[in-house]
Amino acid sequence: MGKYSIGEFEEVLLLTVAILYDNAYGISIKEEIEDRLNRKVSVGAMRTALSRLEKKGFLQSEFGEATAIRGGKRKRFYKVTPYGKKALEEVMENRKKLWEAIPSVAFDFKAL
Amino acid sequence: MKNQPPNLYPPSLAIRLLRWFCEPALLEDVEGDLEELFSNRLKNGRRRAKWLFYWDVLLLFRPGIIREIRIFKGQTNHIMFKNYIKIAWRNAMRYKGYTALNLLGLIVGMASSILILLWVQDERNVNAFHTNGDQIYQVFRNMRQSNGQVNTGTSIPKPLGDLVKSEYTEVAEVAWLSWSLPMDIARDNQAIEESGRFASPEVLTMFSFELLLGDSQTALNSPSGLLISERVAEKHFGPNWRNEAMGQVFKVEEQFDVQVTGVFRSPGTESTLDFEWLLPAQAYFAANPWVEDWGNGAFETYLLIPDTDKVQAVADKIRMEIKKHTQGNPNAGDEELIIHRFSDTYLYSAFDNGVVSGGRIEYVRIMTIVAIFILLVACINFMNLTTARSSRRSKEIGLRKVMGAARKSIRTQFYLEAFLLAGCAVAVSAVVVAFLLPLFNELVGKSLVLNFEAPETWFFLMGLIFGVGLLSGTYPALLLPTFNVIQSMKGGVVKQSGFASYFRKGLVVFQFAISTLLIIGTTVIYRQIDFVLNKDLGLNKDNLLAVSLEGDLASRLETYKNELLRLPQVTHVSGASGNPLNYGRSTSSANWEGKNPNEGYEVNVMLTDEHFIETTGMEILAGRSFSSQLQDSTNFIINEVAAELMGFEDPIGKKLSFWGIDGKIVGVVKNFHMRDLYEPIAPLIITCISPSNSSIVLIRTNENTSDALAAIEQVTQSLNPGEDFRYQFIDQAYAESYEAEQTMRTLANLFALVSIVISTLGLLGLASYSAEQRSKEIGVRKVHGASVIQVLLLLSKDYGKLILMAFVLAVPFGYYFMQNWLNQFEFREALNPVVFLFAGVIVMSIGVLTVAAKSYQAASVNPVKSLKEE
Repeated sequence: MGKYSIGEFEEVLLLTVAILYDNAYGISIKEEIEDRLNRKVSVGAMRTALSRLEKKGFLQSEFGEATAIRGGKRKRFYKVTPYGKKALEEVMENRKKLWEAIPSVAFDFKAL
Repeated sequence: MKNQPPNLYPPSLAIRLLRWFCEPALLEDVEGDLEELFSNRLKNGRRRAKWLFYWDVLLLFRPGIIREIRIFKGQTNHIMFKNYIKIAWRNAMRYKGYTALNLLGLIVGMASSILILLWVQDERNVNAFHTNGDQIYQVFRNMRQSNGQVNTGTSIPKPLGDLVKSEYTEVAEVAWLSWSLPMDIARDNQAIEESGRFASPEVLTMFSFELLLGDSQTALNSPSGLLISERVAEKHFGPNWRNEAMGQVFKVEEQFDVQVTGVFRSPGTESTLDFEWLLPAQAYFAANPWVEDWGNGAFETYLLIPDTDKVQAVADKIRMEIKKHTQGNPNAGDEELIIHRFSDTYLYSAFDNGVVSGGRIEYVRIMTIVAIFILLVACINFMNLTTARSSRRSKEIGLRKVMGAARKSIRTQFYLEAFLLAGCAVAVSAVVVAFLLPLFNELVGKSLVLNFEAPETWFFLMGLIFGVGLLSGTYPALLLPTFNVIQSMKGGVVKQSGFASYFRKGLVVFQFAISTLLIIGTTVIYRQIDFVLNKDLGLNKDNLLAVSLEGDLASRLETYKNELLRLPQVTHVSGASGNPLNYGRSTSSANWEGKNPNEGYEVNVMLTDEHFIETTGMEILAGRSFSSQLQDSTNFIINEVAAELMGFEDPIGKKLSFWGIDGKIVGVVKNFHMRDLYEPIAPLIITCISPSNSSIVLIRTNENTSDALAAIEQVTQSLNPGEDFRYQFIDQAYAESYEAEQTMRTLANLFALVSIVISTLGLLGLASYSAEQRSKEIGVRKVHGASVIQVLLLLSKDYGKLILMAFVLAVPFGYYFMQNWLNQFEFREALNPVVFLFAGVIVMSIGVLTVAAKSYQAASVNPVKSLKEE
C-alpha cells in the first residue's frame, strides 16, 4: 500500500467524489455509490469516512448554497486534492503490478 | 420548508439527539444531508422515512462524529464560586449563633460516627492480617446431647488431622495448635510463667505470624525447639536480645530443655490466637499418647483449602469422620464435624445448636447502624435549620434571579455552602477525634488510631464530606431556587409550601424517633447487663477469692488450708477443680439408676472437698452437704438440673457412678451458673473424692478484702516459696467475662446521649426561629391580653405533638429490636414497659424544655419592641 494507507471504502469514496466533480456532497455521493456499485451506504459510515479522508488530506471541502429542500442547511462539497489523486494512482499502480504478476495458468481453471 | 405540512418534518426528537452529540463543525451539513434524504424518502411513505431517519441518526453515533466531551464548555462561571464563598462566609458571620448551632451538631455527629466506625473497622480487622486468612478453615465438633442440645467445641481428635493430611487432596496443609497453656519458661534459674501454645510446623507457614528471628519453614521442626515472643525475649535478654536469644537453652516446667529457634512479634489485639511462646506439637504428642485416640479431643485443627470451590466437598467429607472411626466404642458420642472459615471465627463465634448464630458481629452491626443514625440525625439538623431560615436569604435569592441567575446556579450555590460547612465540620471533627481517641480507647479497651498517612483515611474523610454535603444540601438546594422572584423581592416572609413545612416536621419526628429508639436500646442493654451482674448466681460471689495452687501445693492442701483458716480474715476455705462460675469439665461416662443405656449425656464434674458448699455459700435444697465427720468420699451432690435429667423424684440415696467410681447421691444443690448467662445451666456432680486434685482454693474472707489478700499472700508465699501468687476475686472475674457487654453498655449510653444532644440542638434552632418569625403575632396577642403562659403553650404545642409522634413511632421498632437482642440470653430481664415510658419521658421533657425555654424568651419580650417596627 506504500505510504498512502487507504481502505477499500475510502478508495470508493475518493473515486466517486472525483466522478461527481463539482456536485460531490453527502447525498449525491451516497446515491452515486448505490447506483454504480449496487451496495448500500449508511450515512454514518460515509460521514466518518469523509471526515477521515479530509483529515488525512485526500479531500478538501467547502460549503455551497443553502437550499430549501435541506431545511436551509448548506451542502458541503468535496473535492479530491492532488495528494488524494496521488494516493488513488498509487493504489491503482499497486493493483496493476499485482495483476501483471499473476501467471496466466493461475486463472486457467479448465486445467484443473 | 415552511410550506410543508408539519407532519412532513423529520422527527424532532432525532434531530435533538443529533444536535446533542454531533460535532458542531459537522452538524450543519450532516443535518442537511439527513433532511434531504428524508424528503427524498417521503415518496416511499412517511412512516418508513421517519424510521430510517432515526436509524441514520443512531448510526451516526460513532467516534468521528460525536463531539469532544468538555465539562466546561466555553464560558465558565468559576468567577461566581468566589462570590458564593464570600456570601457564605458573610452569612455565617452574620448569624453566629445559628452557624455555631449548625456546625456543632454536625461536628458532634461526625466525630461520634468517626469514632464508632474506627471501632467497627478495628473489629473487622481482627485476624485479617493472615495472608491466607480466607483459605484457612478451623474444624469444630458438634456434640449432640441426649436432651437435644448441641455443644460446639474446638478440641479435635488428632488422628483426624493425620487422616485429612494423607487422604484429602483438596487440603493443602493441616496445622495443629493447642489451647493456651501457662508454663514456666526458665533460663539460669530465672523462671517466668507465660501463656503459650504447642504448634505444628505448619502453623508458621499457614498463618502469617511474623518471625523476627529464625526461619518460619524450619523453626518448629526440631522437637526441642522453642519460639518466644519479642516481649519474652526482652525480659530474658534485655534490649540486645536480637544478638543473644538464638540457640539459648531454656528449661520448660523444670522438666525438659529446649533451644530457642526463633523470636516472633507478639500477636497483638488484632489476633485471636495469642501466645508468648510456641513449642513443637510433636513434643506434646510424643509425651501424651492419648492424643492418638479418635475418642479424645486434642488440639485445635486448621486446614488450608486453597480452592474455595472445594470447601463444600471437604465439609461434606469431614462431617462423619469421628463417628466413622469411633464406631463400636461404647463412649462414643453422637457428633459431627464442621469447618468454619478462620477469618470469620472472631465475629461469628456464637454457635446455636451447632450452627453459627452470630457473635460479636451483632455488636458490629448495631454500632454501624448507630453511627449511620447519628450522622443522619446531624444531617437532618442541617437541612432543617437551613430551610427554616431560608426566608432570611429570600431577598438574596430574588436579587440573584433578577440579575439573571438560573435555578441551576442557585442550586450550585447552596450545594457549595453545604459542602463548605461539611468540610469545616469534618476538619474540626477529625481534630476532635484525634484528641478524644485516647479516652475512647480506654473506654473500649482498644488502641485505635486515626492514621492521617493512610490514603484510606483521606478517602473516608472526603467521602464523609461528600456524603454529608449531599445529604444535607440536597433539600435546601432543591427548595430554595423555586422561590418566586416577586414575592421574595417584596421582602418579608416567603410563604413556604405546605410540603416544605410538613417535610420539616417529618424530619423532626424522624430525628426524635431515632433518639427515642437509641434511648430505649440503651436502657434495655443497661438493665440486662445490670441483671447479669447482680443476678443471684446460686452462690455468694462477694468476698470470695480463688487462689491457684502452684507447684506442689495441691499435695499439701490440708496444711495450706489449716494455715489459711488461722487467719482472722478468713472464714472458710475449700479446694476445687476450678472457678465455679466458669467451669466446664465434663464426662459422658456417668451412669445412674434407671438410665437408658442408649442415651449419652455430658455431665459436669466438680472436684472439691467437704467444705465446698459452705465456702461458696450455695444452698442445699434436699439431703445434706458433705461433712468431714462422715465418710463422704463416694457420696455425691448433684444440682437441680442433674436431678431433673436423671429423672429422680427423690434423688437422695440413689446410686450414681462415673469415672469408674460407684457412689450415691446425698444432696441436691440449688442451681448455680457455671457458664455465662447466654447458656442454660448444665447438669453437675460435685464430689469430694480426691481434694488433692484441686487446682484452686476458694477462700471466703470477711469484708476487709485488701487486708485479707495481703495476709493470704503471705501465708501462701511462706508455704510455697519461689512460686507465683496467682489469685482472682470471683466477682471481678465474673464481671470481666462480660467486658464486651459492658463496653457496649457504655458506648450505647454515650451515643444515645450524643443523638439526643444533636436533636436538641436542632430543635433549639427551629424553636428560636419560629418564635422569631411569630414575634409580631406574639406582640399582638400580648397587647390583647394574652398571658406569658398562654403564649408559651401556643408556641410549644406544635413541637410537643411532633415529639409525641416520634415516640409512638419508636416504640414498636424498639420493642422488636430489643426483644431480638434479649432473646440470645438464656437468662434475661423481661422487656418492661417502664423502659419505653422512661425513654419517652426523657425525650419529651428535654424537647419540651428546650422549646419552652426558647418560647419563654419570645413570650416575655415587651410587645412594644416587636411591634414598633414595621
